[in-house]
Amino acid sequence: MNPRVVGANLVVRIKSFYREKSTMFFMIAFPIILILVFGALFMNQDNMNFDLCVQDLDQTDSSARLVKTLEIDGKFKVIKIDATISATQYARDNKLNLILTIPKDYEGSFLQRVALNDPDASVTLTYLYDPSSISVSMKMQILNSVFAGINQKMSGKPPFIRSAETSILARKYRFIEFFIPGIIAMSVMTLSLFGTVNVNTELRQKGVIRKLSTTPITRTDWILSNILYQFILAVLSTMAMLVVSYAVFNVSLQINAWLPVFIVLDVFAFVGIGMILTRFAKEAESAAAAANAISFPMMFLSGSFFPLEMMPGFMQAVARILPLYYVNEGLRASMVFNDHMAALRYSAIIGVFAAVVFILGIIATKWEEGQ
Amino acid sequence: MAKEAEPAIKVEKLTKRYGNLLAVDDISFNVRQGELFALLGPNGAGKTTTVEIIDTIRTPTSGKVTLLGMDVTKKKHDIVPHIGVLPQGFSSFDRITVRETLQYYSRLFCCMNIDIDGLVELVDLKDKAKELYKNLSGGLKQRLGIAIALVNDPEVLFLDEPTTGLDPRARREVWKVLLGLKKKGKTVFLTTHYMEEAELLADTVAIISKGKIITMGSPEALIESNANYLVLTLKPVDEKAVEIVRKMNYEPVHDNHKDITVRVEHTDDVQKILNAIKDAGYPLHSMDVRKPNLEEVFLKLTSAVLRKSKDPAGEVTE
Repeated sequence: MNPRVVGANLVVRIKSFYREKSTMFFMIAFPIILILVFGALFMNQDNMNFDLCVQDLDQTDSSARLVKTLEIDGKFKVIKIDATISATQYARDNKLNLILTIPKDYEGSFLQRVALNDPDASVTLTYLYDPSSISVSMKMQILNSVFAGINQKMSGKPPFIRSAETSILARKYRFIEFFIPGIIAMSVMTLSLFGTVNVNTELRQKGVIRKLSTTPITRTDWILSNILYQFILAVLSTMAMLVVSYAVFNVSLQINAWLPVFIVLDVFAFVGIGMILTRFAKEAESAAAAANAISFPMMFLSGSFFPLEMMPGFMQAVARILPLYYVNEGLRASMVFNDHMAALRYSAIIGVFAAVVFILGIIATKWEEGQ
Repeated sequence: MAKEAEPAIKVEKLTKRYGNLLAVDDISFNVRQGELFALLGPNGAGKTTTVEIIDTIRTPTSGKVTLLGMDVTKKKHDIVPHIGVLPQGFSSFDRITVRETLQYYSRLFCCMNIDIDGLVELVDLKDKAKELYKNLSGGLKQRLGIAIALVNDPEVLFLDEPTTGLDPRARREVWKVLLGLKKKGKTVFLTTHYMEEAELLADTVAIISKGKIITMGSPEALIESNANYLVLTLKPVDEKAVEIVRKMNYEPVHDNHKDITVRVEHTDDVQKILNAIKDAGYPLHSMDVRKPNLEEVFLKLTSAVLRKSKDPAGEVTE
């Protein structure tokens, strides 16, 4: 690897990009337009409401207050279930994916904790859920953050935690906030996939790659500069989307280290797929068609535009096998729910996928005419 | 590095197959240092495959190619800094200017002190230095391609059909650049299917057909040894003059411009034909006698190979 060669290649790619105004439009302006259009369309649908079935076995004032908190802080539309019936049977009969059960001794434990200051007093709330349902994890994430807020409040921790806790409690899950991580994931995917496929097939077809193979630039230099170029574009595009989202919709998102992590993994995964497609497509047109065939279903099925709960069950199952789903959910876990454990889980899955396809992409990249 | 006496390129028993297709069939030849070597052949003869094996783009099926004393299949990375290549159908980045393109390629070779302006002037692109590649005409693109092939000041230059698709003026502009390189003492390996190009530029010409080299030598020597006849061209006032020539057992060719072209063996034949036309009372507008050119040698040799391949038992009669 020669940094000077990688640098020279990067400069040429960036200049070419800057001078191609239509590419600039599709890569940078298009996702912003999507955000503006969808954001405006769903402006009034400010709060995302999820149905939540609650079985209150305690039937006390304290448990009723807890249910109220879930309605207010978790933005749930609570459906109360009769305490005398079997929750499992009810969930099966009504095809529910989650029932929260408040145990019988809830008020007793609550008073023991609050009035008697017993730090050991605790209560276990049961999530009765369908693990095959994808949207259930989102509901559980919201429930966890509501309970975390309540726990923080009861333990009387120092004020800085209280303020963080307040922000969690005051959290409103607006559609636009679910939408933006999805659009970031989708645009980084299209940038990386089409950027790799279009440029590589065009340069190969025009014979530029053949010419480059008679210079000291190696396949590693070429792939590395391509990855760097795609990463720079992805960061620019993401920054532009975030600036517009904050300026126009005043979104409240957590920007932390997970954002660059997911962008990098998104870039590696889809540059990898792009390199594989470039190898097997005979012409630029067929490569672009193959890239479209991969990216379009992925955009709509992996929950970039809508929370998966809005989709039928079988489509939710399909989403789970799509790499973009894990980038979407990972970005939402970190940017919307501030759930680092979930982000770690999703990043591990997409990380393994990215590593595999990227290695396959390197193997597939044809540099010399060979045999 | 190669010694002075050693050939710049040594090709020994080179063969290349693409599946069942035998593109290059056991060819051997040398290219001397400082010479302009032209590989001539019809389309699909194996020119590009041969040059692309020598300039490290492709790998051979068998045989050995040594370039500046190094084996091309084993020493690609050592060879690349010493060669310049203009591949067939050369193209570059559309939205990069002439000057930026040269800077880019010089950086790939890590030649930071290269005289970009000198190169731009050499290929006469000074006025176009700030023009984007996509806005250049075909001839200018080829000239830029040659300049790119020179950014690393190579010892051996490979130019694969550098003038294909260019108009006559653009072709002559490229020839001017090539003659300049020849004067500078560069070894140039050129492939072309333009005979006049090879005749004008090359020190040595090798004619390849169906993957085999059928003859090789200087253009003059090839003409001398393969075409021991003269070409007589007559422009008679009356077209009936052609019948007179035909009756004399020659094979005249009567073209659209009413010219009569006849192949003759000696100057005596020219005299005989002129006398016969004069005696028949047909006056002549003009006449011309010349030696055959490389194109005629090429057509004779390649068509003989074609006939032989169609009828393997048949003898080459021409």
